[in-house]
Amino acid sequence: MDVLTVKNLSVSFFRPEGEIEALKNVSFSLREGEILAVMGETGCGKSVLCKSILKLLPDIAQIKTGHIDIRGEEITGYSEKQMRKLRGHFFSMVFQNPMTALNPCMSVGEQIAEAVRLRQPCLTGRERRRRTAELMELVGLNPPGERAKQYPFQLSGGMAQRCVIAIALAAEPTVLFADEATTALDVTVQAQILELFLELRKRMGMSIVLVTHNPGVAARIADRVALMRDGALFRIGDVEEILEEIIHNRNLT
Amino acid sequence: MWRKFLRRSYIIGILHNAVKFALSVFALSVLVFAISRLAPGDPLYAYYGERVEKMSAAQQEEAMERLGLREPISAQYARWLQGAVHGDFGISYQYKRDVKEVIAARIGNTLLLGGLGFLLIFALALLLGLFCAWREDRAADRLICKIGTVTSCIPEFWLSLLLILVFAVWLDWLPSSGAYSVGEEGNVADRAAHLILPLAVVVLGHLWYYAFQVRNRLLEEVRADYVLLARMKGLSGRQVLYRHCLRGALPSYLSMMSVALPHILGGTYVVEAVFSYPGIGTLAYESARYQDYNLLMVVSLLTGALVIFCNMLARTVSGRIDPRMRMRFTGGGGEVGGL
Amino acid sequence: MKKKVPVLSLLVLTGIVISCLACGLIMTKDPLYMDLAHCNEAPGKEFLFGTDTMGRDIFSMIWYGGRISLTIGFLATLLSTALAVLVGSVSGCAPARMDGILMRLTELILSVPGLLLTVFLQAVFGGANVYSLSVVIGLTGWMSMAKVVRTEVLQLNHTDYVLAAKCLGGGFFHVLFRHLAPNFFPSVLFMAVMNVRNAIVAESTLSFLGLGLPVEVVSWGSMLSLSENALLTRAWWIILVPGLFLTATLLCLTNLGNYMRGSANKRHSNLGCRE
Repeated sequence: MDVLTVKNLSVSFFRPEGEIEALKNVSFSLREGEILAVMGETGCGKSVLCKSILKLLPDIAQIKTGHIDIRGEEITGYSEKQMRKLRGHFFSMVFQNPMTALNPCMSVGEQIAEAVRLRQPCLTGRERRRRTAELMELVGLNPPGERAKQYPFQLSGGMAQRCVIAIALAAEPTVLFADEATTALDVTVQAQILELFLELRKRMGMSIVLVTHNPGVAARIADRVALMRDGALFRIGDVEEILEEIIHNRNLT
Repeated sequence: MWRKFLRRSYIIGILHNAVKFALSVFALSVLVFAISRLAPGDPLYAYYGERVEKMSAAQQEEAMERLGLREPISAQYARWLQGAVHGDFGISYQYKRDVKEVIAARIGNTLLLGGLGFLLIFALALLLGLFCAWREDRAADRLICKIGTVTSCIPEFWLSLLLILVFAVWLDWLPSSGAYSVGEEGNVADRAAHLILPLAVVVLGHLWYYAFQVRNRLLEEVRADYVLLARMKGLSGRQVLYRHCLRGALPSYLSMMSVALPHILGGTYVVEAVFSYPGIGTLAYESARYQDYNLLMVVSLLTGALVIFCNMLARTVSGRIDPRMRMRFTGGGGEVGGL
Repeated sequence: MKKKVPVLSLLVLTGIVISCLACGLIMTKDPLYMDLAHCNEAPGKEFLFGTDTMGRDIFSMIWYGGRISLTIGFLATLLSTALAVLVGSVSGCAPARMDGILMRLTELILSVPGLLLTVFLQAVFGGANVYSLSVVIGLTGWMSMAKVVRTEVLQLNHTDYVLAAKCLGGGFFHVLFRHLAPNFFPSVLFMAVMNVRNAIVAESTLSFLGLGLPVEVVSWGSMLSLSENALLTRAWWIILVPGLFLTATLLCLTNLGNYMRGSANKRHSNLGCRE
């Protein structure tokens, strides 16, 4: 069963200087519980792809053609209000740079608790705190009680990224977008986070779209790989198959 | 143990601030005293103004002696300071009364007008800035920006004149001068009616400048990455603005408003003078006109001291609400009483 | 995405400045002549903007007096900018202790409202004329600009790109003109334009209050000092006309200053309020 289908998606940025085509006719589908790695050079449209599905692009960007379906329901024409109900419930996203993605003026605990509250508005204060601590333990922010009081600038890059992931997981999403989630991190931390993704998929059964330009990361956890260049998705297939091709023919990416 | 440390650091902070305040006011008094003795020519002129010309030579000599003007300026200052510490700021030559009394009789009116004006500007600038940031670059925002720029360019005294012309002369709705009608000193409604026009000028004259700063500060925040994360949680644009961006903009807004204080106070003084509102501002202009330097000096000193005090207060408060500042001073642990 | 050039403001401002400079060609009457037979006359064919309480022709006074207002604005700004650049660069280059003292002093003076300080100085200096008023206003208007200059000068030694330029062998003047001036200039130019604006406001306010130029010396401020009388006689033109010119000039200056401050924000909002 496909949880997310994207068909012929084209997105353009309308700047005063003219139109810039950021996505050209992108099509793919994502199966339930699958990890799809999207690979390509910097600036090839990987981030725009994630953000245009979540409709988090600035006002100057517009979807020109194409359809986005979730579980067979078309959401291309959804209003901001309708999208808001999907964000933080069905979709969730881990952003590229954890140091700027967190609000510098809010404690980590508050930011995670806010996400919990938006997902489960009926929880009491105590239940919410417990759920927040649970999430923090899950991503390895220990001990949660002390970490919760800290502010983003007091954390290392790896710890901050764990916070961002905790926020993303608070949504208990069906589809998680991880936009270069491990690029800014040390190799050891990277490995820990990837393990965490695998574990979460097993436990929560969610699908993950993993944006990366590191073939090693893709090889480690992805089921399938999609390759992008210049805003177009030109190849999609099983991870072994594609990585094999890459090794034999470097100019593919 | 922890609590004890916290409390002690708090007290040290307060003491530290008190010393700093005293030093600043002392330096300011030296400056102001030096300026008031700058008067070219006869120092007696600085005391009596044109009245000097009517005095005989013997009278002038006697006055010089009595006022201690024969002493060097440092000795004069020391004597003035000694008096000032004991609450004696000398005599106002225009009112023939203690400077302290003259000021005490009027400071309440100024604090009422200036304080209300400051609070209104503080609140309205925030609201207006939020609204404009929310509707960035759309019709409402553009219109408000245009109108705001124009109002912020109108000199306060001329705006006062315009309002008097329209509301007091043509429409005859509101009184044009004073703080209350004759014999109605205790009547709250009458006082309020007298306050409307001056207050309107104080607020209109400054509002946009600060609202625009709030708007621009928020527009910077709105472009930060954390906004996307907050929206990804499921917050609406407006909620992100109120709950996240505002928090980032607030500390710098507070410190901006503390810098704003002398401007708003200075504006209040001009407005007071136009409306003949019995406050410190009118006093300052009258004493300037009648060469009552002693009074003018004390008014300047008092205003400066008030501004310095409020700046320190604001810095302490903004240091407390901005986690980045708060942590920086203590290396990430407890809190400190202030800067 | 560059800011739009404020064409209208530029045109109006040049118009006002040129008309004031060439006031001899425009004036229809002698601006100083008190025509006692035509006091408080409303705007009409003979007196385009009416006459004031003393029977002078307001239309002629506007151009004639504008020259003085603009001169004071210009002179005062010259002085305050020179002081600001001096204090700012000395403070920025000096050792930390000296820098600290200078900045505390600047902040100390800044704590007294500018207009009050101007009034104080002017009162102590005694009788005002165009030059003494310019000096007094200039002396009280340098502080905020000095702070800006200091910040920019400090960058000379501390910014990475300046360091990079130095490492690449860029000489002092190369670094100054190619790397610092582009950052430095807009903000200083903006402050200078704002200083002109503040000086004009200060002149008119002081003259209006009777503490600046006397009524006989025609400036936009001293023209307005007759307004108390005008309020009684409901002679609105005496108040309206000079004030409108004053405000128009200030508005043009503000628009110009904002344009000079630099280009608009390039990034786009993440808020996405379209609902």
